[in-house]
Amino acid sequence: MLDGILTGLQTAIMPTNLMMVVLGCFVGTFIGMLPGLGPVSAIALMIPITYGIDPSSGIILMAGVYYGAIFGGSTSSILINAPGCSGTVVTAFDGYPMAARGQAGKALALAAYSSFTGGTISAIFLLLAAPMLAKVSLSFQSADYFALMVLGLSAVAAFSGKGQILKALIMTVFGLMLSTVGTDRATGVERFTFGSIDLLDGISFLLLAMATFALAEAMMSVLERTDEDAEPQDMTKLGSMKLSAEEVKEVAPTVGRSSVLGFLVGVLPGAGATIAAFLAYGVDRNLARGDSKDEFGNGSLRGLAAPEAANNAASSGSFVPLLTLGIPGSGTTAIMLGALISYGIQPGPRLFVDNPEVFWSVIISMYFGNVVLLILNLPLIPYISRLLIIPKPILVPMILLFSITGVYLVSFNSMDILIMVGICALAIFLRLLTFPMAPLLLGFILGGMMEDNLRRALLINDDSLSFLWQRPITLTIMLITVLILIAPVFQKTIKRIFHIESRGDSLTID
Amino acid sequence: MTLSKERIGALFFLALSILYGYFASGIKLYPGDELDPMTAQTLPFVLSGLGIAFSLSLLISGKGAGRSMGVAHLNWKPVIGLMLISLAYGFALDWLGFLISTILFLIAGFRILGEKRVKILLLVAVPFVFIFWFGLTQMLDIYLAPGRIFGGQ
Repeated sequence: MLDGILTGLQTAIMPTNLMMVVLGCFVGTFIGMLPGLGPVSAIALMIPITYGIDPSSGIILMAGVYYGAIFGGSTSSILINAPGCSGTVVTAFDGYPMAARGQAGKALALAAYSSFTGGTISAIFLLLAAPMLAKVSLSFQSADYFALMVLGLSAVAAFSGKGQILKALIMTVFGLMLSTVGTDRATGVERFTFGSIDLLDGISFLLLAMATFALAEAMMSVLERTDEDAEPQDMTKLGSMKLSAEEVKEVAPTVGRSSVLGFLVGVLPGAGATIAAFLAYGVDRNLARGDSKDEFGNGSLRGLAAPEAANNAASSGSFVPLLTLGIPGSGTTAIMLGALISYGIQPGPRLFVDNPEVFWSVIISMYFGNVVLLILNLPLIPYISRLLIIPKPILVPMILLFSITGVYLVSFNSMDILIMVGICALAIFLRLLTFPMAPLLLGFILGGMMEDNLRRALLINDDSLSFLWQRPITLTIMLITVLILIAPVFQKTIKRIFHIESRGDSLTID
Repeated sequence: MTLSKERIGALFFLALSILYGYFASGIKLYPGDELDPMTAQTLPFVLSGLGIAFSLSLLISGKGAGRSMGVAHLNWKPVIGLMLISLAYGFALDWLGFLISTILFLIAGFRILGEKRVKILLLVAVPFVFIFWFGLTQMLDIYLAPGRIFGGQ
């Protein structure tokens, strides 16, 4: 393992890669700050740039963008009460009241320290857990992979919140349907191409991600009238950024607890930063006694530290299933998987054997990413947040341009732009009907692999589906899937235990 | 009666799943394929079945009237405008080339969203596109074909 860490360190401290971390964190912070544009869009916009560079640098850049986007999301939650992404919705509960009483600087600093601690603890866990899990998963066969993919897809649906499960399942199936368009990889038969040459290779993953996220989110920000630009904030008057010793002492246990909880939730397929943040907030409010309990929702330090530590810890945690099993647990890691595959790298148990530099450098650069966020981004926040003042009429067409050219410059086929606009219109329609988009992307990316693994498992098993109950690992995974799917029935009890309140209709998976 | 968001979505996916299943039956197989336990048609049929089952469940369990879509208050005009110029950009790229079509796209986009000052339109769009073009062609070495009206392919 030490060899691996050294290899990762060597790759991660290369000047290009260090630059990628810094660049990723900056760009991510900026995009994450824009209300409406989440980490998935931020990463999608980066993919075309990463095609021209080394895979390790590419994935390091995207990981930097991911943390940056979550950090940026917290900033806009605290400063303007408009969460940049779903993972930071809870941050606004206590962060904005703090900013409102003139403690914006302290709130931002606390958010940054909590995120840093959460990210660091989680990166250490990842360092220990990932290689172990990768070794175990080397014994996995096609049948187990098939079962794991079914588990991943079901979990995303099951965790998508009250009243959203059926919608998420439908979107997953829709994603799987889209993945069947094109030439069948096993038999070479054309499926759903309707005679079009453009569809022979299937729908491009980048095109789908850009159209359903970056393009659609930019359009939605125009469609839904908001007053967010009604009152430009004076970003230079943030107040002191210092925390007193008592305050640090007060939040330290919360940060520790929430980091561990966040990591564990992040590892679970389908959960991710949003649920981790809600859960950590709920747990901490439940543990609080007396006055400190009443403070929750009115600018409590603990109420801000808990979700911030948890969402960053969960972001690193969500890399565990991606790097070790090749199975993404959220929309964000799904898009990274898509990018890795297009670099010609197959994430999964073989990754740390075949491409150790990618595997380890991502883990090491996560730590660097947290340091960059703390020592570079925090002092620069007043300046970065001024970019929020760029008027919408200028910003939105630029985002559209980057999304469109991002797809065009890879294929040089202007037909792709027309398909993109069509898919974007459909995505807007579905977003208005409150159908979640992440399961679509996940289904689309896992569809091909799922079919291949099922086919292989059937071949190995004499055309019988009996492997589903005869192989202990497969059976266990399938049982977990069933449990996860029926768990929402017991959701009320869980909510009563943790006293979780969700604001709005439902949570969305980032 | 107004349909709820759930039911509109459910009906849409029900129709889509049925259509998908119909087209799945048209997938051509090679002779002998039908003896395999899993053909190119298997997964599409399963997906079509699942799609129908899930959308029927949503149709039945979804709330009735009351939570209609309420799309009238939304800002449709600029969104439709932006979609149209994106489509036009797709056509223009081949004919006018990258520079001209991108400048036109940005100016049109800024205008649709309410920026009317000609000075701003030009001062933002033109230098930005030139820098973007310079970055792509000179720094990243990406070849951008000239438009057909300038003799490109």
